[in-house]
This record gives sequence, structure tokens and C-alpha cells, in this order.
Amino acid sequence: MRMYKLNLTAAGKTDQGFARSNNEDNYYVDVKSGLLIVADGMGGHAAGEIASKLAINVIRDYFQGENKFIRNYDQPYAPATNKLNSALCLANLAVFEAAQSSPQLKGMGTTIAAALIIGNKLSIAHIGDSRVYLIRSDNIEQLTDDHSIVNEQVKRDIITKEEAAKSNIKNLLTKALGIAPEVKADLNELTLFDGDILLLCSDGLNTMLTDESILKIISFAKRTSDACEFLINAANEKGGKDNITVIVGYIKKKNWYSAFNKFTESLWG
Amino acid sequence: MTRILLKYKKTVIRDIIMEKKLLTIGRKSDNDIFIDNQAVSGHHAVIKIEGDGLFIEDSNSLNGTYLEGDGLFIEDLNSLNGTYLNGQKVSKGQLYHGDVILIGVYTLEIISDKIREKDKKSFTIRGRSMEETFVIAPYDKKKMLISTDKNIQDPLGGFIVIEGSTDSKEYQFKDRVSAIGKEKGSAIKLKGLFAPKVAALVNRRKEGYFITPSSNKKLKINGKEIDHRYDLKDGDIVEVAKLKLQFYVKE
Repeated sequence: MRMYKLNLTAAGKTDQGFARSNNEDNYYVDVKSGLLIVADGMGGHAAGEIASKLAINVIRDYFQGENKFIRNYDQPYAPATNKLNSALCLANLAVFEAAQSSPQLKGMGTTIAAALIIGNKLSIAHIGDSRVYLIRSDNIEQLTDDHSIVNEQVKRDIITKEEAAKSNIKNLLTKALGIAPEVKADLNELTLFDGDILLLCSDGLNTMLTDESILKIISFAKRTSDACEFLINAANEKGGKDNITVIVGYIKKKNWYSAFNKFTESLWG
Repeated sequence: MTRILLKYKKTVIRDIIMEKKLLTIGRKSDNDIFIDNQAVSGHHAVIKIEGDGLFIEDSNSLNGTYLEGDGLFIEDLNSLNGTYLNGQKVSKGQLYHGDVILIGVYTLEIISDKIREKDKKSFTIRGRSMEETFVIAPYDKKKMLISTDKNIQDPLGGFIVIEGSTDSKEYQFKDRVSAIGKEKGSAIKLKGLFAPKVAALVNRRKEGYFITPSSNKKLKINGKEIDHRYDLKDGDIVEVAKLKLQFYVKE
């Protein structure tokens, strides 16, 4: 299919929430290269923050550098998706090695949700329970499957979605970046439309708000930065039990005034 | 006499003599054994003497103490608050000489005259706060997922065009979310000046496909008008924007 140019405008925001004494989340937004990342770190002391920051930096640097493929090329996926996978593999290795180097950092890890937008193609790679959502024609759809015990239980019909939302083992992950020398990320691809909205978030958002209320808030906001702020405020109003991180990206048709729109948005930022 | 050594790595930080029947462990300063560490909950666990045995017990619902090893004395107290033995919930475990409890980066070592019987292996008790997100070992994961580990494959399906003008006669729907409409990138692209940009969305999930009409757009399934999400079944006839399609799923 012919590549069709779409414009990305995006903003991100992170908040400690009310219950935690530190913020272990990190995010990265690069509209120019179409790269969006959310990471939710774990580990004692400051290790969680270090893990999420390190993972993001490695992925960022990968795309700013030569970005060679590492590991096996996953044939059904496009080159862009394979590059994203390579970046996550490198980040995994970096975090794992850092964790081995110091007893203070041992056992640290992070979730990762990364989206790469090139033309009208979206590539997604994720590990853990940070999510990517697509909002299209007033519908919200989660594009990632959480690597968590409760989600595995739902998939196997052991418990219902409603039971999963109330479960006390929601924070048990089956996969994370940086805790083993090898990890397999889940990959996915999608064709984007004019008017699509992307949301990347850490579990601090989706454990506090339902998909429906997330959809309402995002539809209400007129700018990406407002959407981020409204989402974080709403999650904090519900208790803010965890760090909350969100990235909201608008996908718009490219036209002569889009550069102007981008400029004004950056002014209001 | 029972003693408990609080250690950080190999350094003994405190030597606690068990003079009371109960010792509390946690991050808050009102605990008998106070450990200032993020990975430890406010009131994490208690060590107590019951009869002539020494036990460790979980303190609150957000707490999890992980026990590993076999030949361990466990009592399930039917609580939501868990202590886990190999990924399964227990709430109490008996302690013997030489046992090590791991809480965050600190360890508690038990020195007692109670020696574990020779045939019972020494075991480790791991403490980790449930408030923190963490990853569990694949072995534990398997145990928690009781059901058989069959590979769940995503369904694959699409539409066959029965009536209407389209580029192709058959369309496979691979994306998680795809659309039928005039909009560029639609899986089934509609033609004509008045064709809707997005007539309907089709979602593909592990449990199957579903279709949702775009707001104010007409959608008929098997002759009946639909105004909300509909779970597609093999053979369903979908009428949307002058197209008549038949849905199929591959086995």
C-alpha cells in the first residue's frame, strides 16, 4: 500500500500520584521521528527510576543512531516494527547489565510501551502492563495485551474482566524489561487514519479510570497537553494510588496549515 | 533463646533477642524491627512464638511475603492478604535455626535452638511488598495459571464481498482495529462522492471479531439494523454503505 503522510502532534506528562513517595515512571516524546515511549520502573530505592530512564534513553539513542537490526528479523512485520523490537532488545540488555553491576540495583526492571509512527503506519512494541490505546470514531481500543497474571487468567477464562479489575494481584507481571538477559516483546502494527488519537499510559492511569472515562476525557480535550493534564487530574481524583504517566498523540492529515497548527500548539504548550 | 540478626549484605546491623512473644517488622518506626526501605511495607510481617514454635506471619492485606522451599509448615488463614509459597498463597510459616527471611535488600537470620529435621531442606522466606510491582518467575507463573498451557491463537477472518463495488472480492482483517469507509487506510475502501469516511469499525480480539457502526451510520447484520457493538459470527451478512458482505473466520 502507498505511504500516506500523516501529521503527529503529541504531548506527555507524568505525575507522582498521591500514594507513592517517588516517581518511577518515565516517558519520551519525539514528534519528528514519530517515537513515543512510556516506561514504569520497578525495584527498591531509586532502582525503578533508573531502570525506566535507562531503557528510554537506550531506545531514544537507537533511533538517533544508525539503528541496525539486532536479533532475528521477524518476517511478518515491517522494518520499522523490527527496528522498534531491536531497540527494546538493546534496552533490555542495558538494564539487565546495569542491574547486575550493583547490589543496590539488582532485580530492577521496567515495563515499556513504545509506538513508532511513520507515514500512516503505526508500529507498537510492549513488555509489561503499560498500554497503548487507539481512539477512532468515538471508540477506544486497547492495542496491547498486558503481560500480567490477571490478564493471563482472563485470557484463559479463569476469571472475568470485572474480577480482574478488583484483583489484589494486579501488579504481578509475567514479563518485564531488564530482569533477564533475553525478553520477547509483543509486536503489533496498524494503519492509521486522519483523526486517530493514540494514548500511551502506565498502569497508574488505567487502574484508576475505566476505558469509557478515558475516552470521555480525551474527546473533551482540544489539545494534546490538555488531554494529558485532564487524564492525570482525573486519575488523582480517584485516589492516584500509583505514578501516572500519559502520552496523547493526535494523527492529522498533512496540509498546508499543519505546520502553523504545530507552531501555535507549541506556543500554548 | 532465640536471636534474630538483621543484616544488610553481610554486615550485621542489629542483633535482636526474642524476649517478647511477638516482634513486628516494617518500615514504620513503631515496629520492633524497623527497616527503612521502600520495598518494605509499613507493617510488613510479624515473628511470633506460639506454643514452642516460632512463626512468621504476614501483617496486612497489601503485604506479601514469599516463601520458597518445601517441607515447610504452613497454615492457611483464609485471608485475601497473601503470603505466597511457590506462587500459592499461604499466610504462615514455621521458622527454624538458620532460616533466612529476605525483606527488600535486608535479611533476617534466625538463630534458635529449634533445628529443622534433617530430611527437611532449609528454606528461604522472601519478603516483598505487594504494593510494588514485580515480576514473578516463570515457575510460579505456571502454578498460578492452573489451566493447561495451550497456545491461544488469535482468530483470523475477514469479509467476502457479495454485492457492491470494491477493489477486491475478499478482504482479510489482520489489524486490531480496522475500518470500512472512504478514509485512506480503510481495510475496505468505499468509493463514491457521498460514501461515509468511516462507516463502521471492525475490531479483532483474542475472543473474536466485533463490528461497531460509526455514529449515525446505518449497519445491518443479517437484515437487522444494529446501532451498537455486535460480535461477529462466521457467516454473518453485513450490510453497510451500499455493500453487502459476508463475514468468515478461519479455523
